[in-house]
Formats: sequence, structure tokens, C-alpha cells
Amino acid sequence: MTATAATARQRAIAAPAARNPWAIAARRLWRNRIAMAALVLFGLIVAVSLAAPLYAHDIAHVNPFVNNLNGTTVVNGHTVPIMQQGGGVLKLGENPIGPTWDIQHYFLGADNLGRDVATRLLYGGRSSLEIGIGSALICCVIATVVALIAGFFGGVTDALLSRLMDLIWAFPVYLLAISISTVLLTRANGMQLGPLHLVAGSLWLPTLIIAFIYVPYVYRPVRGQVLSVVNREYVEAAIAQGASNLRLIFSEILPNVVSVVIVLFPLMIATNILTESALSFLSIGVQPPSASWGTIISDGQQLLYTRPWVSLAPGIMIVLTVLSLNVLGDGVRDALDPRAKVRGRVTAGQAAAVGGPGQFSTASVPDVPEVPDR
Amino acid sequence: MRFRWAIAITAGTIVALAACSSAKTAGPSSPATNHAVSGGTFTILANSSFGVADPAQNYTLQEWQLLIDTHDGLVAFQRVGGVPGTKLVPDLAASLPVPTNGGKTYTFQIRRGIKFSNGQVLKPSDFLTTFERQFTVPGPTTFYSGLIGASACSTKHCDLSKGVVADDANYTLTLNLTTPDPELLDQLALPFAFAVPSGTSMKLTGNTVPPGTGPYKWQSYNPNAQAVLVRNPYFHVWNAAAQPPGYPNQIIEKYGLQVSEEVTEVENGQANEVWDGDQIPSDRLAELNSAKFANQVHVNALTADWYFALNTKRPPFNNVLARQAINYAANRAAYVKIAGGPSLAVPTCQILPPQFPAYTPYCPYTAGTDHTTWTGPDLTKARQLVQQSGTAGTKVVVNGTNDEVGKSLVAQMVADLDAIGYKASSQLLTMSIQYPFIQNSSNAGKWNVAWSAWYQDYPAPSDFLNVLLGCDTIHPNSDASPNIAEYCSPSVQSQIDQARTLGQTNTTAADQLWTKVDHADTDAAPWVDLYNPKQIDLLSSNVHGYQWNPQWYILIDQLWLS
Amino acid sequence: MTGFILRRTLWTVLVMFVITLLVFVIFFKTPGIDPARSLAGRNPSPQVLAEIRHQFGLDRPFPVQYLVMMKKLFVTRDLVSYSNQGQQVFPEIVAAAPATLSLVFGAAVIWVVAAIGMGVAAAVLRGTIFDPLLMIIALIGISMPVFWLGEVANLITQSKLHGTPLFSWVPPLGYTPLTQNPVLWFEGLIIPWITLSVLYIGLYARVLRASLIEIGNEDYVRTARAKGLTEQRVLIRHTLRTSMITFVSLFGLDFGVLVGGGALLAEVVFGIHGVGYLTYQSLSNLDLPVIMATVVYGAFFIVLANTLIDVAYAWLDPQVRIS
Repeated sequence: MTATAATARQRAIAAPAARNPWAIAARRLWRNRIAMAALVLFGLIVAVSLAAPLYAHDIAHVNPFVNNLNGTTVVNGHTVPIMQQGGGVLKLGENPIGPTWDIQHYFLGADNLGRDVATRLLYGGRSSLEIGIGSALICCVIATVVALIAGFFGGVTDALLSRLMDLIWAFPVYLLAISISTVLLTRANGMQLGPLHLVAGSLWLPTLIIAFIYVPYVYRPVRGQVLSVVNREYVEAAIAQGASNLRLIFSEILPNVVSVVIVLFPLMIATNILTESALSFLSIGVQPPSASWGTIISDGQQLLYTRPWVSLAPGIMIVLTVLSLNVLGDGVRDALDPRAKVRGRVTAGQAAAVGGPGQFSTASVPDVPEVPDR
Repeated sequence: MRFRWAIAITAGTIVALAACSSAKTAGPSSPATNHAVSGGTFTILANSSFGVADPAQNYTLQEWQLLIDTHDGLVAFQRVGGVPGTKLVPDLAASLPVPTNGGKTYTFQIRRGIKFSNGQVLKPSDFLTTFERQFTVPGPTTFYSGLIGASACSTKHCDLSKGVVADDANYTLTLNLTTPDPELLDQLALPFAFAVPSGTSMKLTGNTVPPGTGPYKWQSYNPNAQAVLVRNPYFHVWNAAAQPPGYPNQIIEKYGLQVSEEVTEVENGQANEVWDGDQIPSDRLAELNSAKFANQVHVNALTADWYFALNTKRPPFNNVLARQAINYAANRAAYVKIAGGPSLAVPTCQILPPQFPAYTPYCPYTAGTDHTTWTGPDLTKARQLVQQSGTAGTKVVVNGTNDEVGKSLVAQMVADLDAIGYKASSQLLTMSIQYPFIQNSSNAGKWNVAWSAWYQDYPAPSDFLNVLLGCDTIHPNSDASPNIAEYCSPSVQSQIDQARTLGQTNTTAADQLWTKVDHADTDAAPWVDLYNPKQIDLLSSNVHGYQWNPQWYILIDQLWLS
Repeated sequence: MTGFILRRTLWTVLVMFVITLLVFVIFFKTPGIDPARSLAGRNPSPQVLAEIRHQFGLDRPFPVQYLVMMKKLFVTRDLVSYSNQGQQVFPEIVAAAPATLSLVFGAAVIWVVAAIGMGVAAAVLRGTIFDPLLMIIALIGISMPVFWLGEVANLITQSKLHGTPLFSWVPPLGYTPLTQNPVLWFEGLIIPWITLSVLYIGLYARVLRASLIEIGNEDYVRTARAKGLTEQRVLIRHTLRTSMITFVSLFGLDFGVLVGGGALLAEVVFGIHGVGYLTYQSLSNLDLPVIMATVVYGAFFIVLANTLIDVAYAWLDPQVRIS
């Protein structure tokens, strides 16, 4: 063996031991073109939502939170009123203008109070993303931790926690939401909940309520997965090696159940944004004049027959957000699970980089040459 | 409509009907729609039921529209459309009495030979049961509290034998009051005073309606499904002006659909009426404008106010200048648009609605110099008044309901207040909480402006001016205190008292005084009155004989189906 | 097994007790609520209000009120609604249950079958264009709020296209009992079934697909493939069952809550007067007895569904041991 060949071999052997599995995963994600496209789409949605004030001030020149029933706008060079009285003999009703497809003037038309739907859509994105992602995050984190504890320790702990989750799932959330909402509205100074100061219009309220409702929903599948994994051979092996409970939970079990959470996380974001919409339908979600995609949809209910775009547009935004996050989620899962079929060709160097010691499964990797452990 | 009216009040009613009626459903679809036919099932769609059905407690127009077809009182509002429908005619009484004994005694001659739907014969002592029930069953008691013995009545026991003297031998009924009440006859025309058989339980009968004397009877009522009215086999016409015979064989009211779906069903001909109290959503109004529905849509002005009450007990609206300021600034055209446009709402500044006794147009809070009608807001004047009052920058809480229209009205008020220098925020409560909440003075510290609406009980100015803005209708710490603004002006109150006394003898002079009260209250601005709403009646294409009565609105059993 | 059932029954009772207590407390802690007011009719005098308060025991201490309500709900079963005293709550719920059960069972059948079909197809067709296509369809389905979708369904089937042969068979909105007219029962429920299931198909298909792909990489599956079994056999015999754990967990939760009255907005939009509709009404009117009854009814079914799912785990994945 030449000196260079020996060093190369040493390097090849040494490389996996030195390379961080998270970095490996990140690289795999980076290479997944579809996932990257989804990330860009999601980034675009976030960017556009953050740019809402810019759009409102500089492009559309509207205030999307104030009624504008008597206002006018310019369509095809003509000044038209935003609310037009019905025609025929009876002249019943007042119709807001429909989409003008003019980026500077009521692009998607007006809602029933003469407000610019496009601008509200952008502002609504912020609220919906905050609530949807925030509540999904809180929900998934809490549910995973509780599921790990319940599934791992089993017995009375599991029974108690599972029954607690049953209780939460059966809980009359709408009643609680109405009650809290009424309390906040009728108290001048809001409510103190630990470090959080809740006032009537606070986005924390729907976020926490929605996170709370769905904890059992994520808990159950994760617990099921934990129960399935906790008896596996590698766990027994780790126990035999003398691993502590904490290490077992976080190093052996969690990585094998995290894929369930990753699948559920973007799905929960969709569900949560829609739950917020349902709460708005019952008028206990985001309070006016703030907008969220959910409130715009429920406001658009009474315009469904004449101005369907008012409720379609936020719906489309929700679909795009959910789509991009789901694709991204798929990509993250693929990146984290080395046993997943790797798309595209794999070079020897990459192959050597995969299947390192410890962190993920020590099972062998299909379609790829074995790399000696340590 | 005129032709129908002529039939109703001539003696030939029964003969004409016998000639034209057919016992089966839907007679020949003759193009001559003036030819009324009996038969068929008339179906009304309502978003929700009217709650408990006992007529001694129920205070909803929804049930009242059906109760007038199943029950009768001593007197009735004439059962025709238009202004003649506000005239009182004798019903179970043979004639309208003239009060004696200084206005404290009314003697009625009760008609003979009238039977309830269970076969029982109507006699004067049935009225004793009816009035006593009004006190033993929990419900509004203010209407008949003038009867002798009423003040001692409670839900446990009520003895009105001195106030309601029934002589079953001579078939007379005498009502004795403690003080004269010129509105008594109006109040006797309300369903609270409709006769029920003696022997009816003195406790709440729940969802069972006691038998009545009208052309229909209640077959069933399930608040989660429907109410069914069928013909009363014992009914015969004794005064067609008060209680004419009905055309449909059956009347059904179905509950639980969204209003938009109700509109679709009536358009499809799968039902006959969208209950007129249901608000048709704005996107369905567009299709109702088309010529296709021209004969099926009817719009009528209501004697009602939609307004924002101003909390006169705390700043800034304890200052009359601030109240007048917001009245000048309120953009009533925008509120009208929220209500569905000028064809569905008429802006107003004053308390009494148009077509109401003692109403003369008066609107000081408008741009321009014509003070009879509102043309536009006057923001300059408003801002001036705000500065003068020294309340600029005050935080104002605007309270309203969290349904679509309520939300929109509150948003507009917030915008109007912000435009003149206040810092407004909204407080939206669910409907069932909001109304009692704003009436209760213990909550007065939590709101400054509150939305409310008022519809007439019967056509008397006191029903607005005294009930809503009188000094003695302020009940502190009670959920039932209709003077939401807590407005009390002793000088205006004495005018009110004067007008009420005058009303016993000289209605014209009393009305003149009421007009003064209306204008004085408008000047004091305890409210921002927004508009007087109009109501839409949507019927299916096979419904004919439409009449609109100012008290009962659509007259259901006078409609006939082709 | 009997020990398991006994313990679960005990827990169920405890859960119901805790929930009813919570409902009671939340209700009376909400400002502006006064049941005496709705019981006394509109504009009652203060005297009548006081009499009603006494008659309904609303002036007694809270623990006593709670116990009385529980007794009326469970023992004597004559609890009366606050917004309509003529309405007894127990028979009301019993009458409404068949409508909810019809709606939910039908929708569940559709969504389970469709989700399994879609999930399996997406997993098997991974790498082709069909996988992302199916995923997009699935995600569109779960991104639509039920009340919006329901209204759009009504717009199409009852209004705009009602005259066409495509939808002229759709009956007016409402529920017809199966015993009364089976054909009308079915026709009236088809559109609500599809609408309700659309919301769940997407989620379940995604979850199943993910589980299938994941388990498809497990060792024992590789063994099966190595043995020469066809991909189909591998799928149905070996992967599908274990992949169903997540699917079944979620199904238990969703089905339980729907049967218990969780489909309130769907029932409201389609005029189906089931338990969900009662829940919606009672929340709008803040009618405590009906709220209480619907919550108890719902809690019962939720706990039952969860128990059944726990039993199902053992069958699905033999490595799982139920506690």
C-alpha cells in the first residue's frame, strides 16, 4: 500500500466518524430539488406577507382595516364607487366591486365593507402563519414529549397521561373560547397567564387554544409509534450497553418517531389555520379589525354567490402554504432517514458519508456498500 | 290587494269562498290570480325556532304571526294590509267599548257560540284564566299591570277577580283598572291577551300551545324540526275584519336552515316563504333584483330603529356636545350600505320612525340647512363640538354583536369616532349575552357606545319615547332595563307624563306633545340613531294574495297557493 | 382483559365527571351569563326574576346546583333546556343521535376507503408523476374549511346546477330518517358525506403514504422482498397492517369526536339536525343543560373510540403490548 492510498483510506474511514449526521441530513435536503422549490415557495409566501405594509402604503394606497363603504377607486381609467347598489327594479343590496386584476387598485376586489381584499390577504398571512405555525409547533412539541414519556415508561404513567389526553380531546373547546373571549372583552385590562398578558385582540389566544385542542391528536400517533419502537432490538441493545433513560428516549426512540411528527407537522398547520377559521365563523377567533385568512374566508361567506374570490383567494393561499410545507416536510424526512431510498445517483464519497455511527439506525443501508462501524 | 281586501270585509266572504274553494290541494292553475283558492300546505322556512311556545311567555313576532291564526282576543288589529291594518276592530267582543268610570272600566259583550279547537265553548271566565296566567307564568307583566289585583300577583298565585269580572250568565266581561290607560285596547290586541280555555294550567305549558278559537290549531311543535298548524274544525267566521278564514289547509314552519339555503329552496319552489325576520345575506339580494323574482319579492318599511346608545353616565358621552358631535359625524350612508343599501334602510336622526303616530321629519345632524332629512355628515361641525367639549382623545369602547352585520356596524362606528378625534375600539359579544349586558348598569363602566335595535310593540309613541328613554324605565343593576343610554331628563319626562294623560282624552293634542318630546330627545342626543330598516318578504312563485300588515307583517293565512 | 375493561370504565366515569365539572365552572365564570333571565321570558320584572331564580335553584350554592344538574341529567333524565323550558334535553339528544350517526358513519366509510386507496397508490407510485399529483389533490382537500365547502356544495347542487340532470335528484336540505324513507335518506346524505370526507381523506392518505414508505424500508420487509414475494403481497401482507397504526390512532380520535357531535359546522350548513347542530345552537344561546348533555355524549364516544383503538394496536402491531 502506498502512503497516499493509506492516507486516503484512513481519511475515508475517519471521515464518517468526524462528520456531523445533521450536516449530512442538511446536505441531502439541499440536494432535493423539489424540497428546495417548496422552501422557496414558502419563503415567498412569508416574504409577501411581511411586505403587507409596503403594499398597503406604497402600491395600493389603502388602509385595509377601516371601512371604506363610500370610497371610490379607478378601474380602466374611470372612477367607480367601491360599493354599487343593486340593479333591476328593487335595487336591493350593495355589491362590492369584483377583482380588477390591477395591482394598484383593488386587485382582488373589495369585501362587504369596501376594504381591499388583496391587502387584507397579505396582512392576514401574518396572522395565519403566526397562529398556524405557532400552534402547530407548540402542539407537536408538547405532544411528542408527553408521548415519549407515556410510551417509554408505560404502566401507570402511560395510563394517566393517556386518560388526560382523552379528557383534553373531549373538552368543550368552543365553550372555553367563548368564555375566555367574553372575559377578555369585558375586562379593561385583559388577563395575565403566566408570562403572557392576554388582551382581547391578542393572537396568543387562538394560538394557545388551538395548540391545546390538538395535543391529543399528535400525541396518539406518536405514542403508538413509541410503543412500537420501544420493544425493538436496538433499544434493547442500547439498554444492554447501559444507556440512561434520558439517552434512550432522546437518542434511540425519538429519532425513530420523529418522522411521524414531521409528517403531521405541516398537516397540523393546515388544520390549525382552518380551525382558526372555524373559530372566526363562531366569532371567537381573531378579532376585528385584524385579518387572518380564516376571518377573510368567513367574511367571504356572505359574498359567495356574487364575489367568490373573497373566499377563494385565502383558500388558495392556505393550499399553497400547506403544499409547500408538506413537500418540505417530505424532504426533511427523507434527509433524516438514511434507510429511505436515496433519489438520484450516489457517489462513493457520499456513500461513505452515510450510515455513520450511533445517531440513527445501525442497521445496514440498502443499495449502498457497507461502511465499517468505527 | 285591494280586491282581496274588498272580499274580506264584505258579508259575502263565505259565499264567495264557497264558490271558489276546492277542498284538494292546489286548484287549477288559473292565470286569473285574483281568484282565491283554499287548500294546500304553506311552508315557511325559519333559521331558528321561537323558543317556548306558551303564549303567556312568548314575546316573539315569529310565534305571534302564527298565534293570530290560532287564537283570538277581545279586540284585534284589522286583518288587512296597509294603514287600515293598524285600526282596532272587535274580535271576541261584540263591539269596542268606550271606557267609563273616568277611563278605568271597560265592559265587553262577549260573542256567543264560539268554540275552542278542543270543542269547549268560549265563555267570559276564560279571560280570567288568560289574564291570571299572564302573571303566574313568568313573562312580561307590564302590559296588564293596571288591572285591579295585579300588583299582588306573583308566579305562585294571582287573583284578578276584582280586575277581571266575568259574568258567564250575561256573557259580559268587565276590566277594572287602577288608573286610566289609553293604550289598554292596543295591548289587548296582543297575543298575551288571546283567550285560552279555563282549566288551562296556570304554570308554563312549555311547548304545548293551549287551544284557541282561531281558524287553525297547533298540531305539533318541535323546536328542532318544525311546527304544524292544521284547520280548526270548530271555527266559523264571526267578524271577517278581525279573524277571516284562512286559505291553506296546513301551515308548516320548518327550522334550522341557513338563510342562504332558505332563499334557494324558496326560489326552487320547494318551500313557500323565507320567514321575514331572517336577514337575507347580501350576495343573494343580487339575484332577487332580477325580473324573474319581481312578483315574489316584497319590501316594506318597518316602524323600527337601529341605533347606537350612548352611555350618558360616563365620559365622554356624559357631555351633550360630545353626543351631538358623533351624531354629526356618523356616516349614515355607510350604515345604510351595511344594511343592504337605500332600498333596505332609510337614514334617520330622530327617535320615532316614519309612518308612526306623532312623527314629523326632523334631522338636525346633517350637512346643509335642510333639517328634515339627512343628506350627509358634517365633520367640521363634529370636530368643532369635540374640541368644545374637551373630550378629544378619550378612549371609547364600541359594543355590538359578533354576527356579520353587527361586526360591520361596529367597525363603521369605530371609524366614525376615530375620524373626529376619539380612540375607539370594538367589543363584540355573542347575541345572547350582548343585549342583557348593555342593559345592566353594573356594566356601564365597560362600554361607551352600544348597538341595539327596537321594533314597535304596537303603534304608540310611548312605546319608543317612554320605554326607551323614560326616567322610570331605568332599573339599576338589572338585565332588563331598556333605557340603555340611562338617559333621564326631568323636563322631557314631565312632557311625557302630560302626553300620556292627554292621550286619554285628546289624541291629537297628545300627539303634538309627543312630537315635541321626540324632537327634544333628538336634540339631547342620547343615541346615534342610524336608520329605519325595511323588510324583505320572499315568496315562492305559486303564492298569491300577499298583504302586509304594519303590526303583524306578512299575513300568512291570507295567502293562497296556486 | 376484564381488568382492562374494568379499569377503562372507571376512567371513563372519572373523565365524564371532570368534564362536567369543568363545563359547569367555565359556564358560570363567564361574565354576562344569567340563566334566570332566559328562563323568565323577555323583560321580566325583578320580582319574577327572583322567583325564577328560586324555582330553578339558581340561588343555591354551586356544588348543590352541580349535583342537582347531574342528578337531573343522569338519574331522573328530566333536565330541561334553559332556552326552551318545554324541551327536555335527554330525549332531544336521543332524537338527534341517528342523524349524526348516519352522517358520520357514511362519511367515515368513504374517507377510509378513499384514503387507503390514495395512500397506497401514492406510496406504490412513488417516483412517478402520480405521487405529487395525488398529494396535491389530497392537500387541496384538507385546506378547505368545512363550512365553506358545504356552502359551495349547496351553491352547486341546490342552486346553480339544481336544474340540470346532474343534481336535480338532490333533495332539499335536511335529514330523512332511514326508517322513514331509505332512498331519500341516502340521497339527502350523499353530498354531506362527500363534503365531510374530503376534509379527512387528504390527511389520512398523506399519513398512510408516509407510514408505508417508512415501513417499506424496514428489515423484515426487505426479507419478504428477498424471499421473492411480489410487491403487492409485500404491501398487503406485511406493510399495510403496521402502517395503519398512525392511521388508526387518528381515526379513533376523529371518528370519536365526530360521532360525539364534532361535525357541527357540517350539520349546520346541510341542515342536518344532529347532535352537532344541537351543540351549535346551545353555544349560540349559551344554554347550559344542552351544552352539558352534548359534552357528556361526546365525551362518552371519544373515550369509547380511544379504548377500541388501544385494543386495535395489539392486533395491528404484535410488538406493541397494551398496558
